[in-house]
Amino acid sequence: MPQAKRTERWRPPRGRHGLPPEVVARSQRERLLEATMRVVAEKGYAATTVADLTKQAGISRTTFYELFADKEACFLAAYDNVVDALVRRVSAAYETEERWPERARAGLATLLEALAAHPAQARLAFVDVASAGPAAQRRFRAGVQRLTPFLDEGRDFAPNGRSLPANTSRMAAGAVVGLISDELLAGRADGLPNLLSDVLFATLVAYLGPDAAAREVGEESR
Amino acid sequence: MPPTASHHGAKSKAELDDLGGLIEKEHLPAGRADLPEPLVAHSQRERILIAMADACAAKGFGATTIADICKPAGVSRATFYELFEDKEDCLQASMELSLADTMGRIVEIYSPDKPWATMVRDAVATFLDLLANRPQFARMALIEAPAAGGRSYEMYASGKRVLQALLDRGRNDPIEEQAIPSSAARGALAAAESLVVGQILAGNAERLPELLPDIVYIVTVPYLGQDEALRQSREAEKSRLPGAS
Repeated sequence: MPQAKRTERWRPPRGRHGLPPEVVARSQRERLLEATMRVVAEKGYAATTVADLTKQAGISRTTFYELFADKEACFLAAYDNVVDALVRRVSAAYETEERWPERARAGLATLLEALAAHPAQARLAFVDVASAGPAAQRRFRAGVQRLTPFLDEGRDFAPNGRSLPANTSRMAAGAVVGLISDELLAGRADGLPNLLSDVLFATLVAYLGPDAAAREVGEESR
Repeated sequence: MPPTASHHGAKSKAELDDLGGLIEKEHLPAGRADLPEPLVAHSQRERILIAMADACAAKGFGATTIADICKPAGVSRATFYELFEDKEDCLQASMELSLADTMGRIVEIYSPDKPWATMVRDAVATFLDLLANRPQFARMALIEAPAAGGRSYEMYASGKRVLQALLDRGRNDPIEEQAIPSSAARGALAAAESLVVGQILAGNAERLPELLPDIVYIVTVPYLGQDEALRQSREAEKSRLPGAS
């Protein structure tokens, strides 16, 4: 699918424009988070400097430090932004279906498509975050956990739901994220939607076992 | 939606028998692997490796400096550079040690005559004990090395391939006719790894062995089916109870 050309983000007019300060700050923050995503995708987290970010975002150093304490805080805010947006989309897709396996399929399909359409965000949320130090690594694990509420419903759907291990949803979320990360590390962001049957199987097998999982995946992919 | 990569049957026997070959190619320890025990700082080299693991746990590999390593290790910069080319080289040395340990233990557990499920349970139990006994090295091997890229990442990835091959031997068991996707082992391992890494990052590495029943379930369920995987998980739970034989 051809990508729409990136349109310039709106910036407040220079000089005396009479805009309320909080409007200006919000726009600067958004530009900065957008810039962080692009620069980190290009240079990697370690090589990225605050100067790279202010230049790309078109803001001053002073403004940067008014918004964030340091590079790490800015990166974590960008990460949270990406994850919030992904969770919103996954949630909306998930709610369109009734049966849990179909809800899972809809949510995962949307997740894969969103990541394929925004490879810089995908890299930030799945690859760069892992190399950005202990705080980012903890935030990443917390991000993975945001998939578990969708997965926990599988316990009610599964005939054996009550006997499943306590950590089933955490493990299933880890499988989904791990398979996606492998694909991104191999530089195959645009092929992510093809991963649907694999991530769906990895999710369903934890709750339903291999026979039922394979059956559901087969039915879904027809 | 085309049914991609999903419906591979059992792997060929030759492919499965490659497990021995895979391990052979990895870094094996010179001698027989001993029981897991905390690494003792016998030499400057070991002190440096321990200091680096500690520094990485606090700051991450990217932000760790040579000074962060030398000071707690009680060595000079000159000594550091006599033993290692740079920080990356030091991480690789740490990975080599972890990989050699792990592979040495897998070789001990691995036997073509042992039932697959028993072998997997033993491997998971040993692996969790090893990680719990050396939490800083668990962190290096499972968190810093994959993030660092280069040779350290390759070692991490090759260790994972061995474990995947071990799991995929489960395809010889009764449900080989089932349509298990070729990614099943990667998915199962990623599920287990995520749980383990979460526990390490939360500072609970010493409690990793408690995860045995859950991990036994998730890595066997694609191959054994749910009822048998749950049974194996309960067996693993029993084997952990104090006083169990």
